[in-house]
Amino acid sequence: MEKTTKRVFIPGCSLSSYNPELVGKTIEYLKNKLPGTGAILKCCGKPTKALGQYDEFKDRYASLQKDIDALGAEEIIVACQSCFLTMSAYSKEQKVRSLWSLMPEIGMPEATVGKAKESDITFGIHDSCSTRDRNDIHEGIRWIIDQLGYDLEEPPHSKGDTRCCGFGGMVVPANPDLAQEIMDRRTAEFETDYLVTYCAACRASMYKGGKKAVHILDLIFGDVWTSESDFPDLEGAFDSWANRYKTKKKIEEVLS
Amino acid sequence: MQLTEKVLKEMNEVIDDCLADEPPYCQARCPLDIDVQGYITLIRDGEYKEAVRLIREKTIFPGILGRVCAHPCEEECKRGELEEALSIKNLKRFAADMADDPQNWDLSREAETGKKIAVIGAGPSGAVAAYELQKKGHQVSIFEKLPEVGGMLRVGIPAYRLPHDIIDYEYSILEKIGVDINLNTEIGKDIAFEKIREEYDAVYAAAGAHKGIMIPIEGSDLDGVLIAADFLRDAALGNDVEVGKKVLVIGGGNVAMDAARTAWRLGAEKVNISCLETGSQIPAHSWEIEDAEEEGIIMNPGWGPKVIKGENRVEGITLKKCEQVFDSEGNFNPEYCDDNLKEIEADTIIFAIGQRADDSFVKDAEEIRQVDEVTLQSQKDSIFVGGDFKGKPLLAVEAMSHGRKAAISIDRYLKNKDLHIDRENEGAYESKLEKEIDPEEPVRRRVEMRMIDVEERKNNFKEVELGFNVAEAKGESLRCLECECKECVKDCLMLEKYCDSPKALFQEVKDVGIDPLVYFSCNMCSQCTLVCPKEFELKDRFMALRKIAVEENNGESPIKGHNAIKWHQRLGFSNLFTTCKPASNNEEDSK
Ligand SMILES: Cc1cc2nc3c(=O)[nH]c(=O)nc-3n(C[C@H](O)[C@H](O)[C@H](O)COP(=O)(O)OP(=O)(O)OC[C@H]3O[C@@H](n4cnc5c(N)ncnc54)[C@H](O)[C@@H]3O)c2cc1C
Ligand code: SF4
Ligand code: SF4
Ligand code: SF4
Repeated sequence: MEKTTKRVFIPGCSLSSYNPELVGKTIEYLKNKLPGTGAILKCCGKPTKALGQYDEFKDRYASLQKDIDALGAEEIIVACQSCFLTMSAYSKEQKVRSLWSLMPEIGMPEATVGKAKESDITFGIHDSCSTRDRNDIHEGIRWIIDQLGYDLEEPPHSKGDTRCCGFGGMVVPANPDLAQEIMDRRTAEFETDYLVTYCAACRASMYKGGKKAVHILDLIFGDVWTSESDFPDLEGAFDSWANRYKTKKKIEEVLS
Repeated sequence: MQLTEKVLKEMNEVIDDCLADEPPYCQARCPLDIDVQGYITLIRDGEYKEAVRLIREKTIFPGILGRVCAHPCEEECKRGELEEALSIKNLKRFAADMADDPQNWDLSREAETGKKIAVIGAGPSGAVAAYELQKKGHQVSIFEKLPEVGGMLRVGIPAYRLPHDIIDYEYSILEKIGVDINLNTEIGKDIAFEKIREEYDAVYAAAGAHKGIMIPIEGSDLDGVLIAADFLRDAALGNDVEVGKKVLVIGGGNVAMDAARTAWRLGAEKVNISCLETGSQIPAHSWEIEDAEEEGIIMNPGWGPKVIKGENRVEGITLKKCEQVFDSEGNFNPEYCDDNLKEIEADTIIFAIGQRADDSFVKDAEEIRQVDEVTLQSQKDSIFVGGDFKGKPLLAVEAMSHGRKAAISIDRYLKNKDLHIDRENEGAYESKLEKEIDPEEPVRRRVEMRMIDVEERKNNFKEVELGFNVAEAKGESLRCLECECKECVKDCLMLEKYCDSPKALFQEVKDVGIDPLVYFSCNMCSQCTLVCPKEFELKDRFMALRKIAVEENNGESPIKGHNAIKWHQRLGFSNLFTTCKPASNNEEDSK
């Protein structure tokens, strides 16, 4: 393998299961702005860690690390906050960057600035709790929404003080009723019916909490959202895996 | 579940330092540790009987304290930072007025021990000690010099603040539980101190401080010069008191206010008070001064007595300006200006500048003057000393707290137990709570106590304060901020669902273990850490428990719903769903 891969984009499981198109467009964007960007689709193993299966987690992560090292990447770009923390902690040789703090540095994708100025809806921002102390990420997200031209609403708990969407710690499969209560409480903090997240799992939680919810990449790469738009539903288990498969194909296509 | 040493240590940190069971500021400051917040919320909910029951867990005198307690708790009340403290004292009186019932009094006693205890003085300190010791199965005898019980509650505090029938009613618990009360029995005169010391297994000396202090200035021996302690005692017992039309009281403390207001009730037409201090240095509580001024009593702050004038009887007094009460080191060291004088006409002068304990009944008073602060035990093992008699003027509630402390010590002494261990949190202490008032908390004014008209107070000792009615009590109780920690529980739905507090939860983990669903229901979100004054990382503790649970379950989560994750993980790492692509070479390398 040639040593042209300086950095690698790792979209993460939940985004890949949510929308392959968005992953493809993100890679195109990065390729354009930052030549030398490769990509890996593989789980970081965090779910095993969350369950307390530390030995299994170590094996899983080693498998991912092997791929990163094989590409020779010096930098990892992630779009998932949980990946951000896990990789920052375990890939000591690489510099780990969040796509959300990177964007303000390298600029918005072509023809996106100001595109939503005419939209009639206000998006409430739900911050991910895992990166509650990453101010650069919070600011990046707000910068992006502002660049696009959407109005935004800050809930009482946001940024460093944000509340969990209900998905954290693998509580959904363990205790679905409690998770639902947590989702409901979180969505009740917003006046607007439209929420934007920067984690696909958070998006699903906000949807389950009764809101219309999109991922921030939907705002960046999708059509302009208005009150007339069809908002994404919850993807079922089958769709999720189908999407992951499509994501794999998409990555291979974009980086062929 | 086998907890490792590290996990155990981390859990113990929470068990030891979590503030969940730290009492609110009011309760910590109460020398009797009364559950203030508890009774206030019960009053709020209309559960008056329960409120009294809760108060009575810590004191046999709810109606007395509800009227005259100097309420140090209110100084610490968190609400005071917002506008004004809760009216904690008045709410206590309300509960007692509404729902106290002797049928519910606790008269239970432990098995008879055969030990006999003598208590000298039927003031609040002696009374509390007697009740507590009688409960422990000992036989207590009180010896009281006066014809009535109550001590300074009756012969110091005037009846318009504390009606005598309230004292008699609440003191009746002593006879009900079997305390033997000997009135008109002065130790040192009717019975020798040595005799009771020999006949009883232990003695609690709580004879108060009843000897009024007098400064020997010129004219202090004239007719019409009185001492507040004697004056108030005579007034309270219905003895003859000679009070003229123009009275001047010397002193700036609460006793001076009571003497002045009593003189006014006994027919004095013009009542002056002079004291050395000015402004906030005046020792009387601000409300005592306000109440006195309402009755037309004139304050002369910053004046000291120079000469009392008159032939046989007092005709007036010359006051000299006091320029400084305390010196730069904070010691009492008054300085006067002898050129700046003031004449006040008076036919009666009352000295209210302090009372001392009369310990002349003890042959070698030194033996009982050195008292262990922690146990109240004197140099003579079987003699314990407390209340005002110990040497420092106390609040009634502090004298009662001494009574309880002495009772604990005497009980241990009689059972040959260590007197010193586990005595840290007796009396008032500082709460470790770190509560912050919600910035949204609306301002709610303190409910003022209604009083009878000033006109109606003349020539009688009718109780001045009318007490709260139901609406007032409810309104006041709603002001309580219910200070407690449990910030994490209020913030986290999972903690709220599964525990009273992390402290209790981890104790349970240690003692009996808990359902794994609890620690597998933590979102690992750190919200608790953000709100916790101790910044406890609860998620790390829950994660540690998950880890152990998995280890003890052959590497698998014990939670059924987690089965699916196993499959997700396998798929997530299978070739079908993974790819690893280097940067493509067909990039239009523009840069
Ligand atoms: C005028 C006045 C107003 C006060 N107002 C308040 C108030 O509003 N709020 C508040 O909290 N506190 C108040 N206090 C203080 C409070 O009353 C006292 O702190 C409290 O009564 C002390 O209790 P005690 O049991 O130690 O002593 P005391 O109440 O003084 O009781 C001691 C008893 O011992 C008896 N005795 C003395 N010598 C002998 C003997 N040789 N043999 C037998 N019996 C003897 C006495 O007759 C007396 O009954 C006031 C005090 C005074 C003087
Ligand atoms: S607000 Fe209530 S709980 Fe808090 S200190 Fe005051 S009385 Fe006590
Ligand atoms: S916030 Fe919770 S864990 Fe922290 S001290 Fe208070 S009760 Fe304890
Ligand atoms: S980390 Fe766990 S215990 Fe703490 S607030 Fe979040 S869910 Fe609750």
